[in-house]
Amino acid sequence: MSGATAAAGRVPAADQPPVAHRRSLGSRIRRHLPGIASVLVIAFAMLIMFGPVLMLALFSFNDSSIISLPWEGFTTRWYDEAWSTPEARDAILNSLVVAAVVTAGSLTLGTLAAWGLTRLRFPGRGPLAGLHGSVLVVPWLIIGVAGLIFFSESGVSLSLTTVALMQLVVTFPLVVAIISAGLVRFSRSVEEAAIDLGASQGQMLRYVVLPQIAPSLAAAAIFAFAWSFNNFEVSFFTGGFEQTFPVWVFSILRQSENLPMVNAVSTVIALAQVIVVFAGWRLMKRLTRDRGGDKALTELLTGGAR
Amino acid sequence: MEAASLPVRHQRRRGRSLLRPLAFMAAPTALLLILFLGPMIAMLVISLQHGVLSGDSGFTLSNFTDVIGDPLYRDVAWTTVQIATIAMLIQLCIAVPIAYVLAYKAGRFEVPLLLFLVLADELNPMVRIYAWRMLLGREGLINEGLQRIGLIDAPIDALLFSKFAVIVVLSTSYLTYTVIPIYAAMKAVDKNLFEAARDLGAGWWTTTRRVLLPLIAPGIFVSLLLVYIPLFTDFASPTLVGGTSGYMLGQVVNDLVLETGDLNGGAAMSLLMLFASGIFAIIAYKLAKIRQLET
Repeated sequence: MSGATAAAGRVPAADQPPVAHRRSLGSRIRRHLPGIASVLVIAFAMLIMFGPVLMLALFSFNDSSIISLPWEGFTTRWYDEAWSTPEARDAILNSLVVAAVVTAGSLTLGTLAAWGLTRLRFPGRGPLAGLHGSVLVVPWLIIGVAGLIFFSESGVSLSLTTVALMQLVVTFPLVVAIISAGLVRFSRSVEEAAIDLGASQGQMLRYVVLPQIAPSLAAAAIFAFAWSFNNFEVSFFTGGFEQTFPVWVFSILRQSENLPMVNAVSTVIALAQVIVVFAGWRLMKRLTRDRGGDKALTELLTGGAR
Repeated sequence: MEAASLPVRHQRRRGRSLLRPLAFMAAPTALLLILFLGPMIAMLVISLQHGVLSGDSGFTLSNFTDVIGDPLYRDVAWTTVQIATIAMLIQLCIAVPIAYVLAYKAGRFEVPLLLFLVLADELNPMVRIYAWRMLLGREGLINEGLQRIGLIDAPIDALLFSKFAVIVVLSTSYLTYTVIPIYAAMKAVDKNLFEAARDLGAGWWTTTRRVLLPLIAPGIFVSLLLVYIPLFTDFASPTLVGGTSGYMLGQVVNDLVLETGDLNGGAAMSLLMLFASGIFAIIAYKLAKIRQLET
């Protein structure tokens, strides 16, 4: 925390050294105020983003069927109960399978479309880009309801397959956006130079394009998996008898009071997601090593937002 | 790699055909045509048809007029706009300081903090709703805690199953997507402008209001574009923590489609919500663009 304050103090000093020299004692105290305020802002953000989930994890170890104070002692019995509940295991397994399929499909379709839309010129490119973009604007609730109507009208019975297909529809345009942003940032002249120097199309893709878009691909994979795993609306409306994890939690919470067993399952899921994000970050660092590592990551995030 | 083949390569653009675009675009486009446009058209058709039970055939606008004319739905629509707008404003009030700290003050903590933002997005929304429900409930941690310290005598019932609860859950659910566009806009601001403002005698507040806010306005509109529509159409949060006073349009769609089985009404309501979202998106998009041109 003191590091943040020090860093905060360093930034203006580095930018304008003459001003820093002129500071009096009173203003030096005031100079630390922004640092303290920064720490408070971040602490508040952390509290509202992660506080509730941390409490949920803490109370998954409370030896009481009421999820509240007083603390009745440490137990792992809710984990045992969760493990022996077939619905919980099935829901997680279903979600993992669907997310894996959707991630693979999204990366394939997303890369194809991103390349086609950013690197090729053909009639109808504008409308096609618009079609891919418009999926991102339509709320998932409405896509879910539309999917339900479409499948029931065409006589397709709802199952994990329909869930995966509809999730693919809403997820792969996001991958197109991420990878297009990655492709747009790099100049085509490098690719043309590679061809001019005698590389085949395949060699050019393998040795020039792939290293450039690898960070985007990795980020897209992580996001696609999370979006699919967390997707509720689309899975809820287009799902059949087999439930995905969010749908299972929703149906339990709608019917009953809070259950410690759900705390246990949620804790495991949240922990897994923390590990995935951290591992993803390490991977991204490795992939962008020659381009300044962390800087590339911030560029990827800010570029994706624009 | 032979030198002789070099000049020939320059001709490759001449021989462009539709074959390569087709190879790249066929599968993605087919998927979207069948499973995105298909369902949308099916929904439009259903919304224009009479219900199965009415026995009438042919097209009608009665589903739309029924939904629009129902005073109950008008109240729900008003509640929905209220909740979504308040939640959006709260998120912006939280997000701007976070983005500011990230962009200008965090130093070497910038990337780890960004990572936490990404993590906040990756955490399962249903788990987060559940966590809040656990905290806010009648016997939840906040009520129990406050009673133990002696601040209150009886649990505050209004914490859960209320508009308040929905606003709390929604204001914390899309922070990642609110912060990052604003952060990106701040990163793009030329820091010399702040110095110039200070040299010209502007205080902290004046600099923020007259220099920083106009420059990050496009980022704020992008945040609105990304976050307001999901807030407006949310259905899980009000169902799980909203009770009767926090009833939102998303639930109307769910109840029409899945509870009463009125696919036609549900489709009409969905399309009206899509229409409202579309108008909002166009306005926010235009505002984001216009501001970008000015800066």
